[in-house]
Amino acid sequence: MAEARLHRLLANLGFASRLVSCQLQASFALRGAFWTSVVLMLVNDLIFFSTWWILMARFGHVGGWRLDDMMCLYGISAAGYGLCVVVTGGIHDLSRRIDEGDLDAFLTQPKSVLVQALASRTQPSGWGDISVALGLFALSGKVHKETVPALLVGVLCGFVTFVACGIVMHSLAFWFGRTQTLSRALWEFTLTFSMYPPPLFGSGVRFVLFTLLPAGLASYLPVELLRHPSWSALGAALGGSLAYAAFAVWLFEQGLRRYASGNRFNVRG
Amino acid sequence: MSAAYGKYLAIARAAFWQRLSERAALIGRIAFYCLILLVFSCVWRSIFSAQEPLGAHRKAAAHAAGDYVWYLALTEWIMLSQPTLYLDIESDVRSGDIAYQLARPLSYVGGKLAEGVGDLLLRMLTLAPFGLLFARLFSGQWADGRGLMLAALVGVMAALLLLLCYAAIGLCAFWLHDCTPVYLVWQKLLFVLGGLMLPLSIYPEWLRALAQRLPFASMLYGPGQLVSHPDAGRALELSVELGAWVVLAGLLVLGLERRGRRVLELAGG
Repeated sequence: MAEARLHRLLANLGFASRLVSCQLQASFALRGAFWTSVVLMLVNDLIFFSTWWILMARFGHVGGWRLDDMMCLYGISAAGYGLCVVVTGGIHDLSRRIDEGDLDAFLTQPKSVLVQALASRTQPSGWGDISVALGLFALSGKVHKETVPALLVGVLCGFVTFVACGIVMHSLAFWFGRTQTLSRALWEFTLTFSMYPPPLFGSGVRFVLFTLLPAGLASYLPVELLRHPSWSALGAALGGSLAYAAFAVWLFEQGLRRYASGNRFNVRG
Repeated sequence: MSAAYGKYLAIARAAFWQRLSERAALIGRIAFYCLILLVFSCVWRSIFSAQEPLGAHRKAAAHAAGDYVWYLALTEWIMLSQPTLYLDIESDVRSGDIAYQLARPLSYVGGKLAEGVGDLLLRMLTLAPFGLLFARLFSGQWADGRGLMLAALVGVMAALLLLLCYAAIGLCAFWLHDCTPVYLVWQKLLFVLGGLMLPLSIYPEWLRALAQRLPFASMLYGPGQLVSHPDAGRALELSVELGAWVVLAGLLVLGLERRGRRVLELAGG
């Protein structure tokens, strides 16, 4: 039983990597659009981050967090989100597909519906986020040979949490129908909160940030790996992200049982 | 003459009621307004409590933090009330629908601006009470009534100028096809040089000097400052400045439409 599950998981991962590779090739083919998206997102992120630069230049720290800490936090968040939209760009449309019965084409395939739906698109703007994240990590001075593994784990946790959060928010459509605006808003709220240092918020808001809007799992726990590396920080970051991801997959599968076809005739190559 | 104005007034009124029925979009904006004020109230509270941790100064620090929250409430009110006029115009140009609209007995861009004004007024009226509520809740204090009144009056003028700028960006579609890059660059300049999140008074000297020479500052920083520093003379000065920019932007919009129509005719409509 466990062996069969592992085999299925590996098969799905292999399929996902080939699907993502095809999507990436397609996005690289439209060079003008690709570079425009990347550069604009890069400028967008840098301008947003300039808010922190101005604040730190004036006040020195915010809630005990200095500019180098903010670079790491923003970097983890941007890298996780960037990877999420590059690898699983279909997440933006998931609730619409569910509501409009647009998953039919995926149901006829022998592979996981979720993997197909998520990896069916890529967003080149994510490369802009990833580039900014790499630049901020380099400038923060906190990334060196010893901390690279912690950084990679942190980014991976951010990526997994953003994907899982997107699945959870968009899966609401299985139960409530047209939730596209709400699902996107909740997902983007999570992203927004993930870019602000946790000491800013009181215990009530922080509880929300580790449950309903899991910004804590997406960036607060992962960034602790860089700021204060320890085995407990590693366990908290990895455990939190993986548990949330398992919940997201379970929720999607529960929802899929309620899915109603859109009675559409679509063919996917 | 009055019949001509009557047409635009009717369009504005129709747009007002039509947008009122699109509740999800309005609720999304209100939620975002709440979120951004919550987050920044935490940021300011954290900064000022660290600066003035003791005694009587603490009250002054809380008051200063509250002023910043009210500043943001005003600048976000202006920004979040803006309809996506540039997207509507771009869509008309790209789809070719503009060819049918040009045949109507009214100016194309005038009609679009009237629609935008209806939409803008609805959003300003809807967001205003929520802005007051959230700002009071998160800052813990009321702003000066006279300051609010002056800021709101100048804010409406600034919003109208922004609307004209968005129309000009949309009209770039005659040449560019996709105006999103122009919009994003404009928006980011407005964020930083206009002082959307942070007042220009806390910027480094060189950046503040640069920002104050550009029109962005009079659109956001100017009205925002009036909330905590009510000054009728300054409000009048800003109104004259904004009025001059409105005239210039209006001429630009008319010029762009005239030139764009020539391009459209050359392309065969």
